Amino acid sequence: MFLEIDQLTMQFGGLVAVNNVSISIKKGEIHGLIGPNGSGKTTIFNVLSGYYKPTGGKVSFEGRTISGLPAHQITAAGFARTFQNMRLFKTMTVLENLLVAMGHHAKVGLLQEILNPVAVHREEEKFVEKAMDLLDLLEVADFANELATSLPYGNQRRVEMARALATDPKVILLDEPAAGLNEVETEDLRKTLMKIRDLGVTIFLVEHDMKLVMEICEEISVLDYGKKIAEGTGAVISKDPVVIEAYLGQEEDK
Amino acid sequence: MDITSIFIQTIIGGIGIGSLYALVALGYSMTFRSMGLVNFAQGSIYMVGTYFGIIWYRGMVLGLHVPYAAAFFIGLLCNALLGILLERIFRPLAKLDLMLMLLATIGLSFILDNLFTIIFGAEGFAVDSPLPSTPWIIYGIRVLPQMALLIGVSALLMIGNHLFLSKTKLGMAMRASAVDFEIARTMGIATNRMNALALSIGCMMSAAAGILAAPIVYVAPSMGAAVGLKGFAAAVLGGLGSIPGAIAGGLAFGVFEAISAGFISSQWTKAIAFIVMVVVLMVKPSGIVGEITIEKV
Amino acid sequence: MKKKSSILKWILIGAVACLLLAFPAFAKSSYQVHIVNNIGIWLLLSLGLNIAMGYGGQFNLALGALWGVGAYTAALLQTRLGVPFWINLPLGIIAAATMAALVGLPSFKVRSHYLAIVTIGLGEVINLFLVNQDELTGGALGINRIKPPSLFGFPIDTNERFYYLILIMVILGYLIGRQIVGHRIGRAFRALRDDFQAARAMGVNTGFYQILAFAISGAYAGAAGVLFAHWNSYISPDIFEFKSALIVLTMIMIGGMGSLPGSVVGTVLLLVLNEYLRVFERWQLVGYGVAIIVVVLFLPGGVVELVRRFGSLRQRWSAGLTKEKSNVEEERNVP
Repeated sequence: MFLEIDQLTMQFGGLVAVNNVSISIKKGEIHGLIGPNGSGKTTIFNVLSGYYKPTGGKVSFEGRTISGLPAHQITAAGFARTFQNMRLFKTMTVLENLLVAMGHHAKVGLLQEILNPVAVHREEEKFVEKAMDLLDLLEVADFANELATSLPYGNQRRVEMARALATDPKVILLDEPAAGLNEVETEDLRKTLMKIRDLGVTIFLVEHDMKLVMEICEEISVLDYGKKIAEGTGAVISKDPVVIEAYLGQEEDK
Repeated sequence: MDITSIFIQTIIGGIGIGSLYALVALGYSMTFRSMGLVNFAQGSIYMVGTYFGIIWYRGMVLGLHVPYAAAFFIGLLCNALLGILLERIFRPLAKLDLMLMLLATIGLSFILDNLFTIIFGAEGFAVDSPLPSTPWIIYGIRVLPQMALLIGVSALLMIGNHLFLSKTKLGMAMRASAVDFEIARTMGIATNRMNALALSIGCMMSAAAGILAAPIVYVAPSMGAAVGLKGFAAAVLGGLGSIPGAIAGGLAFGVFEAISAGFISSQWTKAIAFIVMVVVLMVKPSGIVGEITIEKV
Repeated sequence: MKKKSSILKWILIGAVACLLLAFPAFAKSSYQVHIVNNIGIWLLLSLGLNIAMGYGGQFNLALGALWGVGAYTAALLQTRLGVPFWINLPLGIIAAATMAALVGLPSFKVRSHYLAIVTIGLGEVINLFLVNQDELTGGALGINRIKPPSLFGFPIDTNERFYYLILIMVILGYLIGRQIVGHRIGRAFRALRDDFQAARAMGVNTGFYQILAFAISGAYAGAAGVLFAHWNSYISPDIFEFKSALIVLTMIMIGGMGSLPGSVVGTVLLLVLNEYLRVFERWQLVGYGVAIIVVVLFLPGGVVELVRRFGSLRQRWSAGLTKEKSNVEEERNVP
């Protein structure tokens, strides 16, 4: 299996945020992860990207256990992510944001980096070229030299995705990429996601916009109170009484 | 003298100096929990408070020899006013990032230390205790009356502070304001005034520490630096922002220092105390009394 | 337009270079050269701290003690074993950088004000070691009669000769600093300062870079220490403490945090002012305090920021209206 979340449990003190969840993700698919607020979606992402060590179960990727590895090693293994609340580096330009993400591909050693400006320059040119390609792909190349956080919201989202792609991932974890976007922007996002998939990158998507999820995800897992309650294609999920119940319950809470 | 009484005597000395650290640590914690800033000038405030009280006691103002108790209250009052002034100075800082806040308060301590050196000279002076200077001997344990006064009054102040924060309406409003700025504001609590009050209390505690300890330590404009650093270490040790933490941290720091000075080596006292603090922070970054915090991702 | 400004830049650099090279010739006294040498040593300290703190966001307030590690390494090797300056220099740098890396270890666990107090504490421990280990370090009295360096038998023993040595070191330090902050390492530093968690997710080995930031500031402090020991021929523990770190911090703050030119401006400004304001004695220190607060409140980027603002204002002025119009249109095209 490509990416296997195996009986994952994440406990904080007495609070069980994720309870014995297993999800399999195939290479190249767009896999959705949905569920009411506080159902443990972001926690799963945080385990996957190495922020938390799971208290039970494991995550294996291409046959290798990756849960518990430090975050930068997980990134090196081929995981990249975006954040719900967008976390671009605030003092950096768009281009610099991407260059940070490429840093771990550098072949030039650290000492050389300080003492051999020529080699550094050559490598940097390659990186810049690649970064510009990604920015082109996501249609934000025009802003390469602007402060990333000064861009409008929708473009910041694109830059964040470009930054994640710059780590050269096999899997990209997108945490609510449609949050705060209007309809037109969401449609653009859909196209962007297709482009990312066409690069051969597997997409694992947490999203509240059901229309988007149903449209693009080949497989959807549903969480409620930290447990997986359903799994299947959009058509199956939308008819599942347990899922409807979980969402209706949430509506009543509001 | 047997080893037990030496030990007990050392502990008492530690509690005495620990009370001093605890009062200064309270100043740090009151500022931190109300305004979210670490006031690196707290040591200078302790020094300033000491001068505000002791100059009256020593007859340095118009030759008036004011009784010790009166000088004590004058010092506290002056520092309370200083606290109100500080709130005004710090208000624009509360929004800045930590490094800038830290620097501004360091700047403030530069100003205070050097102003007081200009006014009173770099040379310090010793202060006579208002109480007899011969130690009391209880079961073979020698205790300086001034030390007993320091411990007793400090304890009273800490209890008083606790009662004020937990039992009075004003104290509770202050706590609410410290916990959640926005909610407090919607409840109609004037957060600025609450912050001013918190800072005033913190400054008064520092002044009290200084005036009580003046007959034991030496009074000089440079006296704040070391105590400020140790008071901060104590506050961090107990869990920055926590009132019981500041007290526990201060006492622990003082006792530990006294024991290591008495039984290990006086030269290395400061080093050992700092190493212990570093170790505690590494093991439990929230301090000995602090709660567990989950880092938000 | 771009070409013109780059020619102008090189002319300016050339002029400054000539001025710097000829300085001892037109200095009014050896004392003036002495002051400039002193500026050079503090410059190394402030460059190092600016890289660690201004870029990497790592509070290294043990800087004063690390400076001492470099100085004592050189002093001990020279006076006890007769090791020459040229060998002491790399050894002092390595010793201080290693010690700095150790001081930085707690940064895995604690951050911001906690890290600040931990580094202050560890710095004081190092300082106490220098004071208390008197058989080794000479205690509070320090070490004297440290021999000056010599180059192929030519002794570098006057302020004027030392000037060139320090000048070379500072220029090297600046160029290396630029190389560090301008590329991968600098970006990783800024990333972990801007957003620690995001940096981790972008593959930045945050732990490694934190320690690296400490080690770099230590290396600069070590170089400053070795130079200081051999130049002054006498060292004692009293300057290798927290207060020196504070002075460096003030320099960076006034010059510009997160800017190498800021380090230069701040250091030169503070130490030159120091000479002119001597008559005011203590009042000048009060003035520094006021200056820090004013900078923090109104100009967090320091003097360099002021220059930059002025520069961009002029640029906008000369670029005229046409450019501004096109900017507006560009913004409108954004979906």
